[in-house]
Amino acid sequence: MDRIDNVLEIRGLVKDFSSVRAVNDVSFDIRRNTVHCLVGENGAGKSTLIKILTGALQRTAGRVLLNGKDYAPRGPREAKQKGISTLFQELNVVDQLTVAENLTLGMEDTTLGFLRRTDKINRMVSVMNSLEPSIRPHQRVSTLSVAQKQIVEIAKAVAAEADVLIMDEPTAAISEGEIARLFAIVKALRHKNVTVIYISHRLDEIFELGDVVTVMRDGRHIATRPVAEVKDRSELIRMMIGKTVFEGYEARESGKKDVVLEVKNLANHKLKDVSFEVRQGEIVGFYGLVGAGKTELARAIYGADPYRGEVTFRGKKLPPRPDKVIAAGIALVPEERRSQGLFTILTVRGNVPVMNMAKISRRGFIDAAAERRVTLEAVERLRIATSSTEKETAKLSGGNQQKVVFAKCLFADADLLMLDEPTRGIDVGAKSEIYGIIRKLSREGKSILVFSSELPEIVNLCDTVHLLYDGELKATLENGRGVDSQRIMHVVTGGL
Amino acid sequence: MSIASGETMAAHLERAAALRATIKRLYIYVVLLLIVLLFSVARLGEVEPFGPGHFLSPDSVVNMLRIAAPILTLSGAFTLLMISGYIDLSVGSAMSFSAVVFALMIRGGVPFALAFPLTAAMGCALGAANGLLVMRLRITPVIATLVTLNVFKGSALLIVPSGLSAIKSIPGRAMPAWINDYARAEVLFGLPWAFYVAVGVILALVVVQRRTLVGKYAAAIGGNRTAAELSGIGAVRWVWGLYVLVGLCAALAGTARASYMSIGDPLSGDGMELDCIIAVLLGGTAFSGGEGSVAKTVVGALIIVCVTTGLMTVIPAFWQTFAKGAVLIGAVALNYLLVREPARC
Amino acid sequence: MTAQTTTMSAGPGSERVGTLARKLSNESFITLFMVGVLAVLFAVACLFVPNFWLPRNVVNLLTNYWYLIILGIGVTFLLITGNFDMSVGGNVALTGVVCAWCAQAASGSPNPLANGPGLPYGLSVAAALACAVGVGAVNAFFIVRLKVPSIIVTLGTMMLSRGLAQVITRGAQRNTSLPDVFGVVGNTFLPGTSLKVAVLIMVLLVAVAFVLEKGTVAGRRTYLIGANAEAARLSGVKVGRHIASLYLLSGLLAGITGILLASEFKAGVSSRATGYEFDALVICLLGGVSISGGFGSVLGMFVGAILLSVVTSSATGLLLSPDWQFTLKGLVTFLAILAQRFALDRRST
Repeated sequence: MDRIDNVLEIRGLVKDFSSVRAVNDVSFDIRRNTVHCLVGENGAGKSTLIKILTGALQRTAGRVLLNGKDYAPRGPREAKQKGISTLFQELNVVDQLTVAENLTLGMEDTTLGFLRRTDKINRMVSVMNSLEPSIRPHQRVSTLSVAQKQIVEIAKAVAAEADVLIMDEPTAAISEGEIARLFAIVKALRHKNVTVIYISHRLDEIFELGDVVTVMRDGRHIATRPVAEVKDRSELIRMMIGKTVFEGYEARESGKKDVVLEVKNLANHKLKDVSFEVRQGEIVGFYGLVGAGKTELARAIYGADPYRGEVTFRGKKLPPRPDKVIAAGIALVPEERRSQGLFTILTVRGNVPVMNMAKISRRGFIDAAAERRVTLEAVERLRIATSSTEKETAKLSGGNQQKVVFAKCLFADADLLMLDEPTRGIDVGAKSEIYGIIRKLSREGKSILVFSSELPEIVNLCDTVHLLYDGELKATLENGRGVDSQRIMHVVTGGL
Repeated sequence: MSIASGETMAAHLERAAALRATIKRLYIYVVLLLIVLLFSVARLGEVEPFGPGHFLSPDSVVNMLRIAAPILTLSGAFTLLMISGYIDLSVGSAMSFSAVVFALMIRGGVPFALAFPLTAAMGCALGAANGLLVMRLRITPVIATLVTLNVFKGSALLIVPSGLSAIKSIPGRAMPAWINDYARAEVLFGLPWAFYVAVGVILALVVVQRRTLVGKYAAAIGGNRTAAELSGIGAVRWVWGLYVLVGLCAALAGTARASYMSIGDPLSGDGMELDCIIAVLLGGTAFSGGEGSVAKTVVGALIIVCVTTGLMTVIPAFWQTFAKGAVLIGAVALNYLLVREPARC
Repeated sequence: MTAQTTTMSAGPGSERVGTLARKLSNESFITLFMVGVLAVLFAVACLFVPNFWLPRNVVNLLTNYWYLIILGIGVTFLLITGNFDMSVGGNVALTGVVCAWCAQAASGSPNPLANGPGLPYGLSVAAALACAVGVGAVNAFFIVRLKVPSIIVTLGTMMLSRGLAQVITRGAQRNTSLPDVFGVVGNTFLPGTSLKVAVLIMVLLVAVAFVLEKGTVAGRRTYLIGANAEAARLSGVKVGRHIASLYLLSGLLAGITGILLASEFKAGVSSRATGYEFDALVICLLGGVSISGGFGSVLGMFVGAILLSVVTSSATGLLLSPDWQFTLKGLVTFLAILAQRFALDRRST
């Protein structure tokens, strides 16, 4: 059969979200039976591009050709039918079924409804065996590790004769030994007629696995090169971050203030022995890419997840319970504003005072006038664009929703604020407003922890920057002393 | 379980997990055995072992199995539905409604060979209605089936003319005596057709659950609906089908009950949904779906029948409801201890 | 895109106000919608049912489901958080029976149902309420601690409590050897009216519940949990503790109802309140309380109760047999759910 060389051709792809252009005129080819890596910082447009390929989003303009034919799936199911399978971080296996049952899910051979063990099924199982013989087909998937479940999904895609397998940060959740096994499998896929699109920020993996690498930045395509032609990590990093201008960082007056937060040997299923200190009035940044453990660290300190180790705030040990941590004077702006930070069916007024109701109530009874007043104050102070305090927060724009979450946390009169991805998905204007608020709070004496995967944000705001990789605190940098973005990127992508 | 000397932590955990799995598989048979033993020795002072009046006397066993026909017929389909993550609280009323309709037809001169399939078809329609409310109109299953519970129950009550408590013999129109045959007439080992139909249904559903697409898809939908949908399994279609199946089994159960009692009693199925829930819980089906076993649920149903009939010989009737409630709460606790996977840090 | 910074100003002219309806929250909108439905149903009933419009009948409509309304308070709060309580009916029966039994004097009669410890009425009431709250505690334990689905647990406690009532009354009732004070609170009428004290208690409880719901921090927590339990937790709400207290409250309300009913009939009857748990759920659903969380009000539940009252009274007035109740309740609930969904969908487009 005459198959063309390029399994996927992307031509002038554009994706707009209201005012933000997430993918800006991207064009490149993906050759058949290669491992094609896709790298870029957070916000570079990688995930949006992938969502268009998997049918989760519809493109605004441009074309995608799959095997030479126009490709525009209306949803993930259609994408799968057309031959593009995806390995997500949320595993799509059914824990309660066996490996063999998962492999054949939706593709069973039956006689009058009875499941038959046909050649097709035997073939699928043998694919599984060739990839990873230690997984027995009649094992319940719930007994497998995350890495093994990934392998089952890969086998399923191969058995379904997928042309393309997209793997999105697959090594974020698995151990070193398992990574090696996964790599062997990925490499073997080339000989099974599967093209792999491999997204990762762990640059060593690119060099080990990849045949071709595409770099994206700010929604644009920067370069597509054979990996053999890329000299080293630094060259890749240069392409990924371009020229990062660090404006806006205001060095602040020195003079050591007291330590307010002490984290000692914090560890859980994701974090490994994290320790650091925060002084009063400091803005401390935690930078790392996907899977580094930023959110896990924030949540652990907040008491939202269990952990081993000790967290002390103002001399008192913090118990792992959010209500007690809030009472001690810490507030968290969570990573997902819609599902964790806001009560979307409630109004602005219903959201703002929530973390400190005692302030607007007397002996348990809410003072409605006080409630309205503090909401109005918050709206003015943070310049939240809403026609009324009675507007449902679900109807606000992303930036304004984030401001409501901020207002909520500020109202808690916390002395230490933890901000997890504080400006994710919001426009430039709102971003700079939020940065202004953060700086003002720091001047007022509040301590702020910023957890972010946007490098300019971290470097513009923070006095101290901790670099996270794979659950470990790898390095600490003091800002204002020639911060080298190259070196930062080096550390957070797994370098030493 | 303590760590044996020389054993690594990993090996210890594996041993503990294996023990846990074995307990999970076998506890229900142990429970059934214990209960049978309990009632067998309960009144040994008064009655001869296996003699008349004893729990395990032939008469008693035959009677228990005859009474068990409805729950046995119903619990298999109920299990499949719960495996898919859905529930049907209207099964009791659907059963009553079917009993009433069946009795009405029999009394009206319709031959059994016609009345039986007609009632079954009507049961499918009742199940389809449930499926419509839950899957199409997307009303929460608990609320949707509570609504249909009342509509079915009300309809059954309305069919029975006021002044009568059930569809039974009235002046000018007698209920033919052979209505009893289906649920009482001895066919084999003293057991009636209704029992063997129940056995047939159970065997069929055990096979369906383990060997066919229906069973696998039910587990897939209950275990990870997204993954199932991505694999091309339309949850709406399949679960709707399961609701129809439950409706069909409810009709079969209602037919058996009407035949046994010789009347169409619009309250005869009351509380059946609770019995089904208890049987399913005892059988180790997880609340959230994804796994379960028709065979173990059936053992659970037998346990309920043993407990209810056995208790009747030991305690006064007015203890029944309390006993059932205690069994349900006990089943919940048991299910919690054995089915839940331990949480990790 | 520049962020539009419209500053708030006090004047009405600066706001773009649509129709009045648009200013209302969804919850108020639904409550008003159901009031509208109620008005229409009432008008239709007046046409077909003789004497429906008489003031005496209207008063009846407003008050004859007083017991469902009291139970409905607890069920409403729990439904807002996404939980069921099907144990209220059995709890009412249990409470009445315990109260009667405790108050029964040792009469020396050979009938065991005529003898009791002869405790003073106040103590009997206290014991009964303790039982009621105890049932709520069992619910809370299994639902909050063991995280078992509330429908299953409360069906179990429904059987346990009713079963216990049946045990204490041997399947019948206890109505002898009771002190005179036993029948007072349930049979006293407000001076000059035909309203029972129970109705007054109902009104007071609803008023208190409404104030709690809208005006207190504790009430607000219920809505927060219903709207987004995870966000509530991250905002410092002790979710488990709050839901547990709602189950205790529901138990207490069932207890109060049980004592009032036992007093009214001067008996502790084991078959009392059969089906009340479903009826309480019905009036909540009719009143627009949503199980998908965060939405609903005791005021809506009250409207729902009157709606149910209109439907059932019309049925009685049209000389339909009481067997119609079940079908009617089912159909009306179904139609209400669809109508509310339709109204909300139309509103947001």
